Amino acid sequence: MLKIEKVKEKELRRKKDKPRIISLIKFYLLPGWRVPEFSEQEYEIEKTRSKRKFFRHLLTILTITGAIIILSFIFMGIYVPWLTQYPLQNLIPPYMAPGVPYLLPSPDHLLGTTKNGFDVLARMLWGARTSLYMALIPTVIAVGGGLILGTISAYFGGKVDYVIMRIVDLIYSLPVLVIVLILTQIFGLTLLIMLSIWGSFAIAGNLRFMRSLVLQIREMLYIKAAKTGGALRLKVMFSHILPNALPPMILTFFGQIAVTMLGIAAISYLGLVNAQIPNWGQDIAWGNIYKENFLAFLIPGLSTGLFAIAAMLIGDGLRDAIDPKLKI
Amino acid sequence: MKKSTNMVKYLIKRILTMIPMLFTVLIITWILANAMAINPLQGEVTGWDMQIYYDEMARLGLDQPLFIQFIKYIQDFFTGNWGESYSGKFEGWLVTDIIITVLPRTLEMIVLPIFIIPIIAVKLGSISAKNRKKKKDILVRSIAVIGAGFPSFWIAILLQFLIGRVLLETTYFQFDIDILNANNVELAANVPFPDIIPPQSSLLVMVMLFFLIIGGIYLIYRGNRLKKQAQPATKKYLFMLISGILICIVGIVPIMFFINTYGTKFRLLDSIIFNEPLYFWDTIGHLLLPGLAMTFISLAAITRQTRSSMLDVLNQDYIRTARAKGVPEKVIINKHALRNALLPTSNLIIGGTASALLGSLFIERIFDYPGFGDTFFTSIISGNISLINGCVMVATIILLSSNLIADVMYTIIDPRIIYT
Repeated sequence: MLKIEKVKEKELRRKKDKPRIISLIKFYLLPGWRVPEFSEQEYEIEKTRSKRKFFRHLLTILTITGAIIILSFIFMGIYVPWLTQYPLQNLIPPYMAPGVPYLLPSPDHLLGTTKNGFDVLARMLWGARTSLYMALIPTVIAVGGGLILGTISAYFGGKVDYVIMRIVDLIYSLPVLVIVLILTQIFGLTLLIMLSIWGSFAIAGNLRFMRSLVLQIREMLYIKAAKTGGALRLKVMFSHILPNALPPMILTFFGQIAVTMLGIAAISYLGLVNAQIPNWGQDIAWGNIYKENFLAFLIPGLSTGLFAIAAMLIGDGLRDAIDPKLKI
Repeated sequence: MKKSTNMVKYLIKRILTMIPMLFTVLIITWILANAMAINPLQGEVTGWDMQIYYDEMARLGLDQPLFIQFIKYIQDFFTGNWGESYSGKFEGWLVTDIIITVLPRTLEMIVLPIFIIPIIAVKLGSISAKNRKKKKDILVRSIAVIGAGFPSFWIAILLQFLIGRVLLETTYFQFDIDILNANNVELAANVPFPDIIPPQSSLLVMVMLFFLIIGGIYLIYRGNRLKKQAQPATKKYLFMLISGILICIVGIVPIMFFINTYGTKFRLLDSIIFNEPLYFWDTIGHLLLPGLAMTFISLAAITRQTRSSMLDVLNQDYIRTARAKGVPEKVIINKHALRNALLPTSNLIIGGTASALLGSLFIERIFDYPGFGDTFFTSIISGNISLINGCVMVATIILLSSNLIADVMYTIIDPRIIYT
């Protein structure tokens, strides 16, 4: 008898378990949906309610479209070699493709050709790969540097704070775009160096924002408790203050992606990026509007804009989800 | 009374801190410009005769050691001699002369957008905040997102494309308006001015008289308000008259003299003063599309900012109180809400002005407009060290002063803010 009861219990659990996963997914995704059997586990539901609120605020149409656009660009960037028949060697300047440049769309070239007879679609797809680097490297440098230096300058104060803030003031008073242009003339047109220069100049804004956040958090009670508990300075800084200042910085991360995309597209439009790497700014510069194939100018600009807008939309959606009081 | 003296102290402090900042910027840009891997005298190396090149080096002092060059440059900088341009369109010109001729053109280009943008953008932002999550709001937001998301130079080229190609091809080449798309080289120069002051400069006298009358009316108004310290009327009017004449002589006569000898360098003003209607309409035609592109680009940020701060303000208690009192909705939006929502926006408006001046580089390059940004870019590309230094100095002065103006504007918009 005991065995039979155990088997019955197991079967019941299995029956319960299978719909539980589906119902959990439904619970997260569909607002207002409830399982009647769950009423026994009301306490556990209370725990997940905050998560559910987060998802409900996050899953708006705009955020989903932004995520889809970004994911499709990432997909393009990763699987480029399998998506086009044109290898990278046939899409960069020394190579001259046979045929006339600026051809109209044809079955061979789905979106026509640009300068030197390069395929527009292939260059756009290869550009997606570089644009991932272009968006991520400067943003990671800028936001990461802002996080670390901002906490240091706000927490230590005194001379350290004074020196860092004077440097920030100096960067704020410089015309940054022009200084980056001058620096590209010094260090050459290597993409990685240019990206890190851009990122290190963008630290300044994030640093100010982070400093103001930390100055607010520093006065909280739990920081005082940690200090009286005898925590080390570094531990207070990086395990108590930093995690609490993270959510607003994550929002700036997405805004920063849009800004860096546009800024670096601008620099590469001026022709100050290595031409051996396909990028959308260069494509816009090549796409002559008075030539026959205007898609050569339209497509790279559209993709740059879509990338930036998608990042902005995700940032806006996350802001709504994290802090519903803020309405932007 | 106390607040105003505090303000003056604060202003003096800020201006004094600007000086070391400018000096450090000058040093940094000099070092960077000299570290550039471009020979500024590339153009002089022609054929086998290197003697011309060496002579030019010796004349410009580029053959001396770097630290001597630096000391000499600093000495010259503070005496007003900012060096001379080595190459390019302005070869042999003094840098100060180049900036004086080039900066007014850019100012002319951005002056219309600067006045139009805040008006339109604040209006759009408040409209979209008022009807939140309705059709109007969605329309305004999508325009703002497009303006903020797409690259500025791409939008400018798109405008060119629409007018220069799509309009042409759809109307069977009836609307062939060359003037909108690019600058004609012949008409891009300054307005030629005659030696003698033409009768049109009586316009300036009219302006002078207008200001005199306005000032007089204001003084009388203030005098009537201070009834306790009543002064004899004749004395007051006499003082007013003498001060007005003095202002005219001190302020306006040198300006007249300057205009007579150099022109104002603003093409629109010059063409009015020297009566050249051809130049006037030509300039306006060339400024239309760049101005439109500039408006559209910087509209987006201000609209977004205004919308978000308006939404914050509309949830406040005093708005609810005003609604409960029965204040009409229009007054609530325009007076109660907007004034409080403008504080974060004002910073953006003034900062946007400075960034428009510096970001005009792309629009100038696209529309072939020989302004400040174009000169800046060509000087960097050709390694024109002295011109780069001069342009960076002007740009930093503009940025710093715009920051200062933004801080002062805060006190005007929000009287609670007091600087110490």
